[in-house]
Amino acid sequence: MALFERRDHLPLPPKGAKTYNTVCQYCNVGCGYKVYVWPVGEEGGPGKDQNAFGADFTNPQPPLVGLNYTETMHSVVQGRDGREYHVAIVPAQDSPINRGDYSIRGGTNALTTFSPTRGTQDRLRYPLLRLGDQFQAVTWQEALTLMGRVIKGIRDRDGNDDNLTVKCYDHGGSGQGFEDNYGAGKLFFDALSIRHIAIHNRPAYNSEVWGSRERGVHELNYDVSDARLADTVVLWGANPYETATVFYVEHILPNLKGATLGEKKAAFANGEPAEPGYLIVIDPRKTSSLTAAEVYAKDRVLHLAPRLGTDYILANAMARVVWERGYYDPDYLKARTDMTLFEDYKKKSLKLGTPYDAFMDEAETITGVPRAQIEQAAEWMAKPKGGGQKRRTLTIYEKGIIWNMKNYDQVAAVVQLAVLTHNIGRPGTGCGRQGGHQEGYVRPPAPTPGSIFNGGPPVNVDKLLTSGKGKFYWVIATDPYLSTPNSQFFRKRIHERTQKLTEALGRAGEPGTVQAWADKILQVLYEDPDALFMVVQDIYMTDTARDAHLILPAAAWGEANDTSINCNSRLLRLYEKFTDPPGEAKPDWEIFKWVGMRLAELYRADGRREEAAKFEFGKDWKTDEDVFLAGSQEFKDNAVSEADEATLEAENYKGVTYSFLKEVGQQGIRTPVRRDPATGKLVGTLRRYTHRFGSSDGKFKWYGTDDWEGYPPEVDKYLKGEAPERYPFWVTTGRAQTIWQTAYHDRNLPEKTLALPLPYVEVNPEDARRLGLAGGDLVEVYNEEGNGTFMVYVTDAVQPGMLFLVMYHWRGTSNSLTSGYTDPKTTIPWYKGTRAALRKVAGALPSLHQTASTLQQNRFE
Amino acid sequence: MTSVLTRRKFVQLSVASVALFSAGGRAATWFAPSLTYPSIKAGNVAKIEVGKPAYFNYPDNRAQAVLVKLGKPALGGVGKDRDLVAFSASCTHMGCGVQYKGERFVCPCHQSMFDPAKSGQVYQGLASEWLPQIPLRVQPNGDVVATAVEGLIWGRVKNV
Repeated sequence: MALFERRDHLPLPPKGAKTYNTVCQYCNVGCGYKVYVWPVGEEGGPGKDQNAFGADFTNPQPPLVGLNYTETMHSVVQGRDGREYHVAIVPAQDSPINRGDYSIRGGTNALTTFSPTRGTQDRLRYPLLRLGDQFQAVTWQEALTLMGRVIKGIRDRDGNDDNLTVKCYDHGGSGQGFEDNYGAGKLFFDALSIRHIAIHNRPAYNSEVWGSRERGVHELNYDVSDARLADTVVLWGANPYETATVFYVEHILPNLKGATLGEKKAAFANGEPAEPGYLIVIDPRKTSSLTAAEVYAKDRVLHLAPRLGTDYILANAMARVVWERGYYDPDYLKARTDMTLFEDYKKKSLKLGTPYDAFMDEAETITGVPRAQIEQAAEWMAKPKGGGQKRRTLTIYEKGIIWNMKNYDQVAAVVQLAVLTHNIGRPGTGCGRQGGHQEGYVRPPAPTPGSIFNGGPPVNVDKLLTSGKGKFYWVIATDPYLSTPNSQFFRKRIHERTQKLTEALGRAGEPGTVQAWADKILQVLYEDPDALFMVVQDIYMTDTARDAHLILPAAAWGEANDTSINCNSRLLRLYEKFTDPPGEAKPDWEIFKWVGMRLAELYRADGRREEAAKFEFGKDWKTDEDVFLAGSQEFKDNAVSEADEATLEAENYKGVTYSFLKEVGQQGIRTPVRRDPATGKLVGTLRRYTHRFGSSDGKFKWYGTDDWEGYPPEVDKYLKGEAPERYPFWVTTGRAQTIWQTAYHDRNLPEKTLALPLPYVEVNPEDARRLGLAGGDLVEVYNEEGNGTFMVYVTDAVQPGMLFLVMYHWRGTSNSLTSGYTDPKTTIPWYKGTRAALRKVAGALPSLHQTASTLQQNRFE
Repeated sequence: MTSVLTRRKFVQLSVASVALFSAGGRAATWFAPSLTYPSIKAGNVAKIEVGKPAYFNYPDNRAQAVLVKLGKPALGGVGKDRDLVAFSASCTHMGCGVQYKGERFVCPCHQSMFDPAKSGQVYQGLASEWLPQIPLRVQPNGDVVATAVEGLIWGRVKNV
């Protein structure tokens, strides 16, 4: 018998089923999907003209080109009218991004819809208030009054908003597009003046790529077609087979296989050589992106495995090779980059004062990458092709660079290497992040404008809270108990602080009215400065929510209209609402609006009309589109020429409406959107920085990176004295194909939970042999920050002496072990480097062995 | 107004009831096996070697299936070593034929990989559903017989 209920017959949507366009709720790629909704009891027929797919099921669909409609693409939901409806969510064949393809994440979109009879019944449906050790239902009316009174009580007493702390997503995907982000921005930055705010996973409000933006390069600058045209693709700390799957298999792998040669010949200059693509993977692990590519093009794939934290030294060494060998265009550099700052780059990054041999010896010693490999990588990136034509290289970096030690310098070094070799702004080039999720940032100006060089660094809100500051903590659509670095310590402290309030509230019996509740909360917060009031706003009861005092239920993907751009093309599309939120759950923007309106009422009752007016920002927001259009007012006038696209915000969508987006459907429009001065029409931007960079004078701003300074004290403590023997492994962390982020939906799906019942640790076969470990064994991985029980995967993905922990698993997060270090220039953490010990636990959990596969995930041959 | 059940209305109502019934009643969740499957011989225990896949057509001649002897006990395995399992050979991702490569099935199109010892679990790759397993029965004469398909075969909305 199957391990869980399987299907052998799916209903077809009848002609006349309601159909919607949408985009996957999960990763950066942003695959297009089509949604069909129809009442239970109706069914379409198998003939092409008998169903809403317009697909012929009288014979089996043809492999690869047929319509994908699988067991995980259908579900039944309960409508608000009390009827049941079928929902089918299938990959869009007219999407230029996925072309009908899909991944293990998006393929399950249909199963994430709310149903009272499936796992999604766990969705939050109405506000919950903690009464002692229980959460009880309350109305929105009462929840909003309590929020309003506590927020107002704190800011009135303090005369500022510094005791109000927030943790909130700040861009799109997963049901939070421009609309929700704008709602949050208006409440927190215009109505309130929140300084102590942090973004989803991380401890501060910052960009992960200030090292690129402050050079004049927004991190999303290439197009999906560039992955098809590149002579060389560089994956630097990016593992797209697992984390940008469809982008990798539909666009990058076909290039390596030579399937895009025709497109190259059409796009390249006359006589320019075109051949199947080359791939450079720079990663401490033999990632599945590397090994999958080796199946097709072993001699055109190069793997560089630098020591943890040393990537920027490696990037500078590759740049030095480029310099020594003249793989650059001096005219381009003079015309398009700041040659005064270039002197600093030559001195500090290229270190032209050090002889080449000595420089390369030092780089090899620090990074552990052989000089010959560094030189070969530089050749593959930049050595001119036959006829002296510039090589076209697309560099895609992600968390291996971003969540590295010294975030700012890492990102800057990679971007500078791309600009030095003119690998940006031309077809087949670009240098940007792969992205985690999709994007949708539009807000009033944020409290911290930039890195330490531009008004920063931002406040570390995690440390502010764990040190006992702040009185109110509002956690929105993120689960810091799993996702924040050094999370074991964070969990303990937030629990301790919220518990102080919980106990004090219950000491003389809980108050019986909302007014009395608010008064007592405020009284306790100011009597015991360590006490903390916590609100969690989410779609599920998260790990963090277990310590909350008030829980607000939010709408999810598909339960409201929203808009986002994807990362590989900045493609803006409308994600249409196709179902209702469960119970009384509301879209985030609406919750922000109503919190504002309640505060306005309370201020009006005090006779403070001016203060009240600030909080009425949402009074005219009736629909999601009202918010989308209001947000567009934050952007610059976009009636600029093509050459001036670089002067626009990356996400500028001024002039775009929902009806425009409905018309363009899956084709979308690429931001920044311009209103063409010649035609007056809205046009997208295929690729950025062809004509100028995004700095004030249009020139690229070079930066001289730091010298190698070794590891920060939070990790260096594991390298001193006897510590390396006690904590013998380097630890790195990352995501896996199967689960999305904290697996908030995936943990309800048997396909996922049976496969990954526990978090896993990758152990090299040599280490496994030495320690007597086999696949499926349970081990404790621990260090001075925290610990967790992990299931062993034996694999050569990791080198001997290194462990890889999967992130964010609900049965134990790798972040319990990560340190509290952040880059002093940006406050971005180093999630991907620490040290730990490992021991085999006594006994076993045989039921886990029975269902979970431990076959090697990076072995494709 | 009095309600008169005309013959015409009666026929309409009957048609509606049939439609409701044939759509699976409540919510059309046809848990496999919900259909009538043929019994077809997939091999004989005396002839199947460990690690040598045998392809056969099931449940009809337009669907390829694969029988393997893993050499270690498997979920749903039959035979004296409980190591004989069979699956639909169409990748659940986009329908390409999966290949048995020592311990696992690999799809040549996008590298989805399935573990035959764990009910066809997707342990890597793009497929969002496990490979449909084919329950087997061993006859007294050693014939291994396919009896149903637990899971939807890619490209179909109804297995038979």
